[in-house]
Amino acid sequence: MRRTAAAFAALLAFATPVAAQQRGQLVVGAAIFTDSISPAAGGYNTLSLVYQTWDPLVARDHEDNIVPALAERWETLSPTHWRFHLRRNVKWHDGSPFTAEDVKFTVEYVTNPRTIYVRKGRIAGIASVEVVDPMTVDIHTTSPAPLLLRGLADIAIEQKAITERLGPAEAARHPIGTGPWRYGEWISGDRYDLTANREYWGGAPRVERLRIRTIAEGSTRVASLLAGETHIIEEVPVDLIPSVRQRRNLTIDAVESSVSLVLTFDTRSPPFNDVRVRRAVDMAINKPLIHQQMLEGQGSVLDGQLVTRGTFGHNPNLRARPYDPEGARALLREAGYPAGFDTRINTLSGRYLSDVDIVNAAAGMMRAVGVRASVNVAEGAVWARMDRNKEQGPIYQVGWFSVGDADFNTVWYTEASRRNYWTNAEFDRLWLEARSTLDEDARRRAYHRMMEIMHEEVPSVFLFGLPRIYGRSNRVVAGWRPPRDSLLRLHQVELR
Amino acid sequence: MGYLLHRLLLVPAPLLIVITFVFVVLRLTGDPVAIYLGQDATPEQEALLRAELRLDDPLPMQFLSFLGDLLQGDFGTSIQHRAPAMQVVAERLPATLELVALGLTFALVLGVLGGIAAALWRDRLPDFLLTALAVTGQSMPSFWLGILLIQLFALELDWLPTSGREDWQSAILPTATLAAFLLPNFVLVTRAAVLETMREQFLATARARGVGPVRALFRHVLPNALNPVVSLVGLQLGRLMGGAVVTETVFAWPGVGRLMVAAIFQRDVPVVIAGVFIVALTIVLANLLVDLVQAAIDPRIRLR
Repeated sequence: MRRTAAAFAALLAFATPVAAQQRGQLVVGAAIFTDSISPAAGGYNTLSLVYQTWDPLVARDHEDNIVPALAERWETLSPTHWRFHLRRNVKWHDGSPFTAEDVKFTVEYVTNPRTIYVRKGRIAGIASVEVVDPMTVDIHTTSPAPLLLRGLADIAIEQKAITERLGPAEAARHPIGTGPWRYGEWISGDRYDLTANREYWGGAPRVERLRIRTIAEGSTRVASLLAGETHIIEEVPVDLIPSVRQRRNLTIDAVESSVSLVLTFDTRSPPFNDVRVRRAVDMAINKPLIHQQMLEGQGSVLDGQLVTRGTFGHNPNLRARPYDPEGARALLREAGYPAGFDTRINTLSGRYLSDVDIVNAAAGMMRAVGVRASVNVAEGAVWARMDRNKEQGPIYQVGWFSVGDADFNTVWYTEASRRNYWTNAEFDRLWLEARSTLDEDARRRAYHRMMEIMHEEVPSVFLFGLPRIYGRSNRVVAGWRPPRDSLLRLHQVELR
Repeated sequence: MGYLLHRLLLVPAPLLIVITFVFVVLRLTGDPVAIYLGQDATPEQEALLRAELRLDDPLPMQFLSFLGDLLQGDFGTSIQHRAPAMQVVAERLPATLELVALGLTFALVLGVLGGIAAALWRDRLPDFLLTALAVTGQSMPSFWLGILLIQLFALELDWLPTSGREDWQSAILPTATLAAFLLPNFVLVTRAAVLETMREQFLATARARGVGPVRALFRHVLPNALNPVVSLVGLQLGRLMGGAVVTETVFAWPGVGRLMVAAIFQRDVPVVIAGVFIVALTIVLANLLVDLVQAAIDPRIRLR
């Protein structure tokens, strides 16, 4: 795929910009095709479509900050009692008013143990919901829940009357939400057509119609942008970035996501049960070089810790361990491996930006200090099984996302996740403390210490904060910002 | 009619083998529940979904139950789409059939014409050019050709859209890519068959009796030469479906090929089996049609 993309890059130099889209229709080329527009389904690719027609109670902005949405403000009456004041005069697309009953219905439906809802774990701590008046709703949690707002940001509020009448699955096929766009037509595997909701509480969209097209192949996605068929495309292949950049009418919009790409060790058995060996591998990998070569310098080299710089809990005092092959060899000798050893790195292909290229480069650098690593690319479903059985091999590459709070990705290193290899009692205790208090300073201190522990113990080699790379036509003149969390926020986008 | 019935009765056995194979391989190599729920899965959610999808029973029991439903025309519910699997496949089927039918028609028409021309001008420039083109086409991956066509016709010339399925224009590049995938075989087989027929004694006899070259070609050569070409159509259908997967991916064409590839990765067994069923049925029926056409154009063939 990389070779194909590279060859295509060469061809692009001769391409001529063409065609103008009909005014008033914004066309976006999406990279991953989802099979559903149901709020109950899928990951963030699905949520990105869901939030065109629906809104959450509170939302994340493009930089992962929590901002008001259907709730215009909120307060904590006690550490386990939250009050949300709802936005007035919000209407569903069928004209009926949005009220606290809809919020209560949605939260109770999602948290119902009988409901299958992919992101329900995000609001698992909710004990009850209470309607105070039509515009006020109270949420009680079982314990102090600092992550409640971030969890709610992943839950679309559904209309009680329609969902009860049609059932959640049927209601989701033709969404009637409160969101900026009204449902038009969903053609699975092809496109999603929407029209502007002129009565949107956040201001009417600046263009009349929106089309989100599925273009899975990166080269074709870029070609659609060059041809003027799309205005914004997701995930520009790294090889094609220079080709897009050299076009005057196109722009690359890159942003560091909260996805941290790491190489995780199975620390349960030799050789990686020895922290000196793990540190040696960390020092053997020239991260800045790989970052420049494989990611075109987009995103960042992680600061020797799991979370990216924009994430709550990032420890500003830590830095990536410098590239030091001599030091790595010395550590290996000290650990009893003067002649090095054979090992294996497992990875997925195409799940993360340049994933296989990155791991191949890292394996080459490891071999230079005597850690003779082979690379094994696993198929997704096989990978899921390996993950489930904790059989991902001596080293595996994975990307953990935080959506702005360290809790979400540090969990994978705790016993609570049931998927950790490395374990540390202090780390687990701090993680629990941080998710059990609303005191932000206390939480920050806990995460800073957790990052220090990880830096010292090296359960993973912390590689890169992966970028999200969008291509944009210069016909998009305002209202667009590349999102850290991949959710398309399009209602303020203006076209020339 | 007896022949038709006989052929149709042969369909279920290979289909059952394929369905068993797909079911066992997909279920043994991945867990659809884990894939659907992702990394946030809780044991409670998994248990609930397993119960809903009837994945709690031992695998042989699940298979028997699946077969039982299948006999009643129920392919089960898609795990990812949360809709009847056959409905999911049926929604995508027209796009693939359109692509395959157009691709096959173009490949057949152009391939046969090219093959005849190459045979008639044997060892001369047209033959050399057509054969070279066929060999080049055969060695060019569809993926690469598709990207080249996008580059030329959508970006350089601005004649056609790069991708998608909206109007007749958007079908041209995917059709051309798929046709190019098959075209070389038709050129080469037609050329060889025409040349072989032209060496037959009966043709010399016909010419000796004063039959003109054009009439000899259409009346005597082609009816005999086209038989292997028609056989090739049946043989190529399987390949064509494979080519459709690549073409659909390059051109963002919303067909069954892409759907099935995604379903395989997601271990969405009902969708894969519904897709396999439809594809297999299409191939079987098309081969049946091929047999009938062969019998019609060649009186030596009797369908028994």
